[in-house]
Amino acid sequence: MGKYAIGEFEEIVMLTVAVLFGDAYGITIKQEIERRMSRKVSVGAMRTALNRLEKKGFLESKFGEATAVRGGKRKRYFQVTPFGKRALDQIMETRKQYWKDIPSVAFEFKFI
Amino acid sequence: MSEITPKDAPKLPLKVLRWFCDPALLEDVEGDLMELYHSRKKPDSLRSKIRFTIDVFLLFRPGMIRRFQISNQLNSVAMVKNYIITAFRFALRYKSYTVINLLGLVVGLASTILILLWINDEINIDKFHTKADRIYRAYRNMHQSSGEVMTTPAIPQPLELVLENEYPEIDEVTLVGWEVESAFRFGDDVSYEMGRYTSPEFFSIFSFPFLAGDPETAMNDVSSVVITERLARKFFGDKWKEDQLALGNTFNIDNRKSFTITGVVKDPGPKSSIQFDWIIPADEYIQRNNWVESWYNGGFRMLFTLHEGADIAVVRERVEQEVNEHTNYEADERIYLQPFRDSYLNSNFENGVPSGGRIQYVRILLIVAVFILVIACINFMNLATARSNRRSKEIGIRKVMGAHRGGLRQQFFLESFLLTIASVIMAIGVVLITIPFFNGITGKTLHLDLRSIDVWIGVAGVTLVTGLFSGSYPALLLSSFKITNSLRGTIKHSRGGAYFRKGLVIFQFALSILLIIGTVIVYQQMQFVLNKNLGLDRENMVFVEMERDLARQREVYKTELQKIPEIVSVTNTSGNPLSHGRSTGGAEWEGKDPNENVEINVLNVDLDFMRTMRMEILQGRDFSVDFGSDTANYIINEVATDVMGFDDPINKRLKVWGQEGRIIGVVRNFHMDSMFEPIDPLIIRYDPNSTYVAFIKTQGNIVSALDGIEKVTRSLNPDYPFKYKFMDEEYERSYRNEMTLSTLINIFALVSIFISCLGLLGLSSYSTSQRSREIGIRKVHGASIANLVVLLSRDYAILMGLAFVIAAPLAYYVMREWLNDFAFRTELDLFIFAIAGIGVFVGGALTVGFKSYQAAMINPVNTLKDE
Repeated sequence: MGKYAIGEFEEIVMLTVAVLFGDAYGITIKQEIERRMSRKVSVGAMRTALNRLEKKGFLESKFGEATAVRGGKRKRYFQVTPFGKRALDQIMETRKQYWKDIPSVAFEFKFI
Repeated sequence: MSEITPKDAPKLPLKVLRWFCDPALLEDVEGDLMELYHSRKKPDSLRSKIRFTIDVFLLFRPGMIRRFQISNQLNSVAMVKNYIITAFRFALRYKSYTVINLLGLVVGLASTILILLWINDEINIDKFHTKADRIYRAYRNMHQSSGEVMTTPAIPQPLELVLENEYPEIDEVTLVGWEVESAFRFGDDVSYEMGRYTSPEFFSIFSFPFLAGDPETAMNDVSSVVITERLARKFFGDKWKEDQLALGNTFNIDNRKSFTITGVVKDPGPKSSIQFDWIIPADEYIQRNNWVESWYNGGFRMLFTLHEGADIAVVRERVEQEVNEHTNYEADERIYLQPFRDSYLNSNFENGVPSGGRIQYVRILLIVAVFILVIACINFMNLATARSNRRSKEIGIRKVMGAHRGGLRQQFFLESFLLTIASVIMAIGVVLITIPFFNGITGKTLHLDLRSIDVWIGVAGVTLVTGLFSGSYPALLLSSFKITNSLRGTIKHSRGGAYFRKGLVIFQFALSILLIIGTVIVYQQMQFVLNKNLGLDRENMVFVEMERDLARQREVYKTELQKIPEIVSVTNTSGNPLSHGRSTGGAEWEGKDPNENVEINVLNVDLDFMRTMRMEILQGRDFSVDFGSDTANYIINEVATDVMGFDDPINKRLKVWGQEGRIIGVVRNFHMDSMFEPIDPLIIRYDPNSTYVAFIKTQGNIVSALDGIEKVTRSLNPDYPFKYKFMDEEYERSYRNEMTLSTLINIFALVSIFISCLGLLGLSSYSTSQRSREIGIRKVHGASIANLVVLLSRDYAILMGLAFVIAAPLAYYVMREWLNDFAFRTELDLFIFAIAGIGVFVGGALTVGFKSYQAAMINPVNTLKDE
């Protein structure tokens, strides 16, 4: 993947942040992933991924409003950076290329 | 949602999170966790709290953990390794200290674990029913004119239909009969089995799984019986299921009728307060006993389930006057509802509301467990500080080498945890060994299931608390030593430290004295109850419950029995006078206020009752054949005389169950109920045809007496196995709970004294080692050994005196509360307090004296040459 070192889970997290544009903070991201992927996501796993992605510069974050339910703590909203967008693009491109280059016979199982 | 505040979430995990989490990430992570916590279905349930804790735990990963100062600068692994090595070396070098320390902790922890297992078992009884949260139990409060409220679980049977039809909130209602013994005959096998009559809903309300048969239809026919697995095995062998032997077979029960087996359920087991070996539809009983169909009688207990989400408060309010409305308020009887899950532990009623019961024993033992653990922890603290002299040089060197207080604190905490963990492992071994004995005492089937996570959570919790608590004081104290002093070996503890240590000793001994006083008083009360003159003679009294066949020939039976040489006399009665259950609210007497309503016990007897029971007639005369009409005459007890308000009750008119007669005598009060209750009023009727129990007074050889009784019984009643009970044994059996408690407290009080004395041993060796030079100099100047022992023991004598002053009033207060539950109780004797105080004092004095004597015997050369 060249200069964009992104794991599969990280990719999903980034895509989710993009999907939730404007409303992407811990809980919504967790729930969105759980809904789409039908798998359990722990706060720990998700938060480390977000943290790492931010450090790598794929995501940026800013504090939002605080609510009583959160015990008066502010939310941290995430957004994909242009650099992150480029990384996602590249991943998609690479994947597309893969699919294009698969010879059609490789997936024709009925003759095997 | 706005009313939710951060304090709802569990505090400890939150603290842990704040401790380890990178401050830059903390705020929104904490917020997310909170939001998640509150979005759960039941935010305050244990489940959500555990989820919350797991979430925090999962956050503990690289990337989330903040940078710790120490881990950046020091190689902490090496240090920890060094701490462990040092801990081991000290443990091995000072073996006696280590043994004292371990012994105290092991005994304390093992006791605590045993008690916690017992408590866990108690509080989980009846919780296995899937509908447990929705089951309620009805009680009937009989409000007496005197203002007293008598509570009975016996509910008028017609209420069942009212609850079923008129209360939309109520799902299902069941009658549950008392446990009765019936003779079960299958072919040639016959035996007595305990069971109950219940409504068909019984199996839907309670979760007793069926091994064979259909729970829906098993109780449809009145001639059906559902039996337990135990009974199936007993009659049909272990392969009853494979060979389909049970279902469809018939039992002849009580030589009365055949019942078809329609179901086999699992044994109720020790987790159920409702015990039975067979269940027969209640209708079968009602058909034979139409008296229960009245609003004025109570023949069954009644339990019901609420619909999910229904409000019990609505039902509670409406149901209260239900009996009164159907009886035109003739007697003020109100229905009270108790959640079924509470009924096992809270079975005593006072003034119509639950006032405790076994829950008190749970609380008492919980307190005892905490006491013992605290005493063991204090030992550890005291011993660790006692060792501090030996370690002061090590601490000094460590500080010179750059150790800071935090590191030293870590070291001592680590040491206390290592010791605690070692003790816990040994304690688990001790528990595994002693649990059969413990079960023997408590009559439970406890076991330490090492595969269960709950057990490990409990053990981990106990370890954590013990380790932290016992390590806290040494860690703070030892790490505070000044470098120069500790290297010079002249650690002088501050006054505050000495007071603190003395305070701990006082506290420890106060707890022990408290336990000892408690033990002695519980024991005394038990002796009081068991030896009290009950007003009748229960010694050598055998009683036989007469079955139908036997009851028909009761006069013949009596005559035959009296021919046996070892038998003094025989009387037939309607029940055991010491645990009587038959009463009436409808007695009428001369001059009775028509609105007055009093529940009075009624006992049916034959001619020889007073003589056989050796009761005392205070006024008037006994029933006699010389007076033809005694079947219409009554004898009452002293309480009844008071209740009826007679100065001279003889010849006053009295009407019981519609039969008008006269009072011919007054009998001295005797106990009909437990010692928890005052004596109730009683009417004794002469009615030999309504007696079902033969009481047989024996003398001389009890074995040949029983032989004779068995022969006579069998010849008159060949179809039944012979069965008898002793009156005194039955009486003692009714105090089994109290006896168990008494034994348990006895044992654990001894344990606490043992641990306290271990601590004292360690502590006195601390003080003597501190004063070794002083002792040497005194000896050189001619002090005798006796002088020195007195000198060294004096301080501890004062401490124990103070402990006594603190504990005695507290014990007085607590034990008075306990004794107040008994209507008849022993006196709180100052003598007991003196005994407990002196006992502890002697134990302590021996321990300290032994150590002081050792110190005084040392040749002064050895202690003084170091200077």
